[in-house]
Amino acid sequence: MPILWAASIRHLLRHPAQLVLALVGLSVGVGTIIAVDIATASSGRAFQLSSQAVNGAATHEIAGGPKGVDEQLYVDLRTRDGVGLSPAGGGGVRPALAPVVEGYVTVGERTMQVVGIDPLADPELNAGGTDVRPTAGDPTRWFTQPGAVVMAAGTAKQLGLSVNQWFDVDVDGKTYRAVLLGTLPDDKAGYDSLILTDIAQAQEWLDALGRLSRIDVRVPDGSNGEAAAARLRARLPAGVRLEQAQGRAHQSVDMTAAFTTNLQAMSMLALLVSTLLIYGAISFAVVQRRRIIGILRALGATRGNVFTIVLSEAAVLGIVGAGLGLLLGVVIGRGLVHLVSQTINDLYFVVAVNETVLPAASVVKALLAGFGTALAGAWLPALEVAGSTPQLGLRRSVLEARAVTLARKLLITSGALAAASGIVALTSGRSLLAGFVALFLLLLSAATLTPAVLRVVARAAARAAGRVSPVARLVFGDVAASLSRTGVAVAALGMALAAMIGVSIMVESFRESLREWLARTLRADIYVTAPGPGAGRPERKIDSELLKAMLATPGVVDYGMSRRVTLDLPHGPIPLDAVQLAHGGYANMALTIGDPGLTWPAFEKGDIVISEPLAYRTRLNPGDTLALPTDSGSRRFRIAGIYREYGNDRGTVLMSLPVYREFWHDDGVTAVGFYVDRGRPLQQVMAGFRDLARGKQSLFIRSNAQLRDLSMSIFERTFVITRVLYWLAAGVAAIGLVSALLAWELERSHELAILRSLGLTPGAAAVLIEGQTGFMGLVALLAAIPAGLLTAWLLIDVINRRAFGWRIDVHLSGAQFANALLLAVAAAAVAGLYPARRVARAAIASDIREE
Amino acid sequence: MLDHAQAEFANAEVAAVIGRSGSGKSTLLNLISGIDRPDSGSVEVDGLDVTALTEPRLTLFRRKNIGFVYQFFNLVPTLDVEENVRLVLELNGVRGAEARERSLAMLREVGLEDRARSAVDTLSGGEQQRVAIARALVHRPPVLLADEPTGNLDEETARQVLPVLLSLARQRGATLLIVTHDAALAQTADRVLELRDGRLQEVSS
Repeated sequence: MPILWAASIRHLLRHPAQLVLALVGLSVGVGTIIAVDIATASSGRAFQLSSQAVNGAATHEIAGGPKGVDEQLYVDLRTRDGVGLSPAGGGGVRPALAPVVEGYVTVGERTMQVVGIDPLADPELNAGGTDVRPTAGDPTRWFTQPGAVVMAAGTAKQLGLSVNQWFDVDVDGKTYRAVLLGTLPDDKAGYDSLILTDIAQAQEWLDALGRLSRIDVRVPDGSNGEAAAARLRARLPAGVRLEQAQGRAHQSVDMTAAFTTNLQAMSMLALLVSTLLIYGAISFAVVQRRRIIGILRALGATRGNVFTIVLSEAAVLGIVGAGLGLLLGVVIGRGLVHLVSQTINDLYFVVAVNETVLPAASVVKALLAGFGTALAGAWLPALEVAGSTPQLGLRRSVLEARAVTLARKLLITSGALAAASGIVALTSGRSLLAGFVALFLLLLSAATLTPAVLRVVARAAARAAGRVSPVARLVFGDVAASLSRTGVAVAALGMALAAMIGVSIMVESFRESLREWLARTLRADIYVTAPGPGAGRPERKIDSELLKAMLATPGVVDYGMSRRVTLDLPHGPIPLDAVQLAHGGYANMALTIGDPGLTWPAFEKGDIVISEPLAYRTRLNPGDTLALPTDSGSRRFRIAGIYREYGNDRGTVLMSLPVYREFWHDDGVTAVGFYVDRGRPLQQVMAGFRDLARGKQSLFIRSNAQLRDLSMSIFERTFVITRVLYWLAAGVAAIGLVSALLAWELERSHELAILRSLGLTPGAAAVLIEGQTGFMGLVALLAAIPAGLLTAWLLIDVINRRAFGWRIDVHLSGAQFANALLLAVAAAAVAGLYPARRVARAAIASDIREE
Repeated sequence: MLDHAQAEFANAEVAAVIGRSGSGKSTLLNLISGIDRPDSGSVEVDGLDVTALTEPRLTLFRRKNIGFVYQFFNLVPTLDVEENVRLVLELNGVRGAEARERSLAMLREVGLEDRARSAVDTLSGGEQQRVAIARALVHRPPVLLADEPTGNLDEETARQVLPVLLSLARQRGATLLIVTHDAALAQTADRVLELRDGRLQEVSS
């Protein structure tokens, strides 16, 4: 029915502001989801590509402890023992092998993965099958030229390097010279952050002489391959394992699951808010056209015609909003990639994201989200208008009576949603998904509570204000009497404010808990750390001679030291902190389970202590044992206690340094905390350390205060993305409020013109409007505060606990509510601005005539 | 509002229903058109019990058999003059060139062919009511219901519009039921009924 459609489209086009605001709300909601998808997918994809580039052809890998495997093992497998790898009788499958030494280096400001390969190894396994020798010009230079490297042509260009140019490579605070022998074509994915060099060169740079990071293995699919792998496994010495090649990469990406789930939940919040906005926008558009729809129905348009028109409008809105959201998501996503990859680098693993990925599934998700959100938002108004009798110009009082009835019903719904949220939170065990379901139920409860709160408060305010002035009564009375117009927008704002308050309290509580934890555990005066990307990398260690010299520096009265390495456990890679604490240092360790008088003596004798996140994830308790892969094979360590730690959400194993050295034969030291004589200026001692290190190793030398500041700045960086997302959700809600209130105020121009004709000054009319919108913002805040507190509880005690395993102490302060207040007041003020200006300037006569 | 109101109208008859405000005149038209349903009793149009129809069939009945002229015109503001008229044809399944030709022909009959592409809010009250008359008659319904058709027009304009309504209704043989306060208008009808205390009473014939 073209004319019916024409009437519908023209109505939308005649209200462009309303249309634009609804589209902006929807596209920001969809865009936020896409942005988070792009950011997380790009980081994950970059990591997987670089993993594939390094060992893409391998089916298995031979791995050892934190220091890798002895290179003699590779020699043995290829030569003497290798005979046994062939099946009895010969003629069967023999595994292909290739040694790999890898680590992280810095070139200029850029972190890159250096991969040392042996071109003489089974060629199909070298860096994904890449034979680097032809790219290196004279192939013999690969072996003879010290510092010879190859990298992707695009990467060389970005670094400003040309073939045969020399440049500096920083490894563990030491600088080495490298020369670019040649470049690889850019058509191979995942090579953009790799530096390929000869295996011996990599061993030298990474201080891993005689060691290999791993041996890549390739066996064919099928039973022959499995048999070959089994034969290989049988020949491995204790402490060395044969693993699936991509297992580690998957585990690494899986580590970020909780982090990315949190981001996705935040982005869903923005979409949920925009569902309410679409509902508000569509129902408002329907209400505005009730008279026209009545005419159409009287002329013979069926309920189906009307229902189809309203839903189709929403569908078009949804598709356009999804399309715009997709574009917006790509723009925001490019900005978020940096934040997400920075957080992954800070907390999980090293990844360099050089290009953004838009997964096809995300495009489908965006279209479905936009389309579904718009249809879900329009469903009720469409049903309502199609079901009503075709009387012309249904009376406003009837509409408002319906809105009041609905608000009452929503009040009951709100209670039911809150109860459901509590039940889900308290009975769902450890399910993170259930935690988010509880959170969304709670936020919906806040949204459904708000219209009733608005009505009650507005009526009470009207009664009170009526004693002062009838105009003041109008300010609040109109709000109470126009619930059909204002309820949804205020509900959306209330929900966004509740989320904002909850997130603010969670972040602030986390910050304070972290600050207290740092104050308790960081007691030394100066901290010296081996530099380099990637916590737990074996090459990060302080030069032993330099360490001795620093310990002998005048003014140093005590010290504690630690070695951090990464162990591959069945639950994924877990950091092991081997510590030798300063005198009295155990008192600074906060045990959450365990008697310090029993735990620490047992710890010194060989027990381990594990952090809260690890205990939560593995369900381990004091008295249980945990198997760790030592150099001499797997060994079970008794758990003496559980301690508080916010360093990483995978969890940490804490072990006495002498015990670690006994089982792993690694005398490296990653970090040292120095206690300095009170009479000696810290700066003087730090300057002494720098003098000692100069020319030998670039170390991070920081005072206690500087290290705390650094820790806090990493924390702040981690939560930047959370803040970005919640401001996006808040922005969507603010747009909704502006949209709905703008439409409401414009609709009242006739009524306002009457007031003006009766003598209300332009200024007073403007104040009246701003008073109304401001009042609604404050009521949304009022309803959001209790919901925000409950949201904070859910985020802290349910979601954070389930996602990361740590406990956070709740800290409340006025500042946590400041952003919500700012949003409520700003959105309300902006919403009132245009109508206030308009009413002050409007021609009274024409507005009065309008009916 | 209506209590045992009873009346019969012949084909092509022009009848006026008068009564005080709130006496139920508009409700009577809503009942005849099926927009409202009576608590009890029935409305028959051409032997068809309108009150027994389901909602979808009621809509189809109204679409085909009823033409409406309202006091406040009730044109669709987002459609132009010709589109307002054509809308009813399209609802009745007449599309394309035929619909255009018929709507323009109808506008010619009410003297508004030259305003076919005008927005309805640029028309005077009399012109808007003539568009409404054209829309009510373009699909040739057997029943035409006019609710205070001159109530929103000045005397002069009313004098111009009324003959258009009456002559077109008569030309097409439609039964025209006019609800009005206007005694002069009522006098132009074949028959006048008064709605008082919920009942219809014959005033003259």
